Amino acid sequence: MVDFARVQKELQECSRDIERSGIKVIPKSEATLARLIGTIPGPVGTPYEGGTFQIDIALPDAYPFEPPKMQFTTKVWHPNISSQSGAICLDILKDQWSPALTLKTALLSVQALLSAPQPDDPQDAVVAQQYLKDYQTFVGTARYWTETFAKKSSLGIVEKVQKLVEMGFPEAQARSTLEAAGGDENLALEKLCSG
Amino acid sequence: MVSDSITRASVHAVPNNGGRDLGKKKRARSAKLKQCKLDVRREQWLSQGAMKNKEQNSVVKAGKERNNNRSFGNLEMRPRGGQIDGSIHHHHHHHDSDMESNSPNSLTSSVLESNYSETTFTSSSSSSSGGCCSGNITEDEEGGGDDGCLDDWEAVADALAADEKPKNTCPESPPEHEPIAQTVFPQETAIGSDQVEHLNPPYSRVIPKASGNGHAWRPDDAFRPQSLPNLANQLSLPNSNRKHYSCGGVPWAYNGVVPSSCPICYEDLDFTDTSFLPCLCGFRLCLFCHNRIMEEDGRCPGCRKPYEHEPVEAETSVHGGSLTFRLPRSCSMITRS
Repeated sequence: MVDFARVQKELQECSRDIERSGIKVIPKSEATLARLIGTIPGPVGTPYEGGTFQIDIALPDAYPFEPPKMQFTTKVWHPNISSQSGAICLDILKDQWSPALTLKTALLSVQALLSAPQPDDPQDAVVAQQYLKDYQTFVGTARYWTETFAKKSSLGIVEKVQKLVEMGFPEAQARSTLEAAGGDENLALEKLCSG
Repeated sequence: MVSDSITRASVHAVPNNGGRDLGKKKRARSAKLKQCKLDVRREQWLSQGAMKNKEQNSVVKAGKERNNNRSFGNLEMRPRGGQIDGSIHHHHHHHDSDMESNSPNSLTSSVLESNYSETTFTSSSSSSSGGCCSGNITEDEEGGGDDGCLDDWEAVADALAADEKPKNTCPESPPEHEPIAQTVFPQETAIGSDQVEHLNPPYSRVIPKASGNGHAWRPDDAFRPQSLPNLANQLSLPNSNRKHYSCGGVPWAYNGVVPSSCPICYEDLDFTDTSFLPCLCGFRLCLFCHNRIMEEDGRCPGCRKPYEHEPVEAETSVHGGSLTFRLPRSCSMITRS
């Protein structure tokens, strides 16, 4: 049984200094506190700057004696985060968890991981290779992903792509054209029609 | 007797609370007067010991007024009679035990004593007002009908108490009351409204001061005000305490201050828990969480090292026991209003 009293207090405390930390934790639904959504801002001075990243949190029954399960729902290009599933490779979420840590401190650690990738212990081998061999490209891709998936303005991009697909354009083409048009739906449509 | 009287007192208090406000105000004024006398007395006693400036004094005074004010509200709830003797006796006992403690501890205990000075003063006024009430055992003891006679009695009794006190303490210790009291009180006056919140901070202020002298509280020091976090517990939210931990790098090593709630389950720590120090890193937690961890992981949440040996249980000496027991009681009397 999850210690909901503790979770409740954690949420209160977290919301208290949301201004300062920028870290937000809210219950996924009102039914239970075992499923939560965490939000962290991309660290300044990294390719993730300006992005807002959502993390799905599932609390095991033994929480806080066992670590919370965390996974990015926002797509991230990072050596220690799966570009496919959003799985996070971070020691404190595994064997280095301590019950003295909290959801907020864990999210802070995830945020710190964004600014300090560990390519030697990768979660996503492709990203890690790119990080090690072609750092500039890595930065470019990571920034592009941030722009595309983690910016508020990009939140509607899925719907826009969907719309274009419904108009009869192939999804991949619709997406790339939309990205090229900076998310401008009409411009993308024009391009698609003329192209 | 003690717990008994408190219970009775609080039961007693409930229906009368509303009507007593007026009386409280009056008493506050009389407390002010009384405080002047007290201060004059103390001035006399302290003048041999140390120079001090007026400002300091007035700050202390302002702080104390608050306390007196509050204590009066409570004091009326007190059953009179034997209680008075008890509390006075306690003081004597307390001072004795301080004097008994010898050199290695002496600084600690004198600092401690100065911590207590707040308590002592309020308590002394408490015993006096208790005394005066027993003087006129009429039925309006609780009501707003306190009169000049009562004030005078209080003043006299207080002056007596003030006389008594310095005699009991060692001659060096009174000067120490001043600087420490000063660190304690300004906060009280500044924060104002909520007595609860600042009970803990003033003490944590005092502690760094002590450590500045190179005499930090030892984690297992029986004289350490372990009861203080408990006190905060009863009344304040755990976060008020934790907040200033988060400023330090390693929260649990923060000057050895005992947290008011378990950092694992966020439940309040009781007395047994606060005297429980399972790991050398100083990370404290409640026994329940400790047991839980021992069943599985077996590592200290603070330093991630395995709990190696049997936990060190902080010892409580006979004196320490009586002290730590006494303090929360008198303090909670102050803060209950």
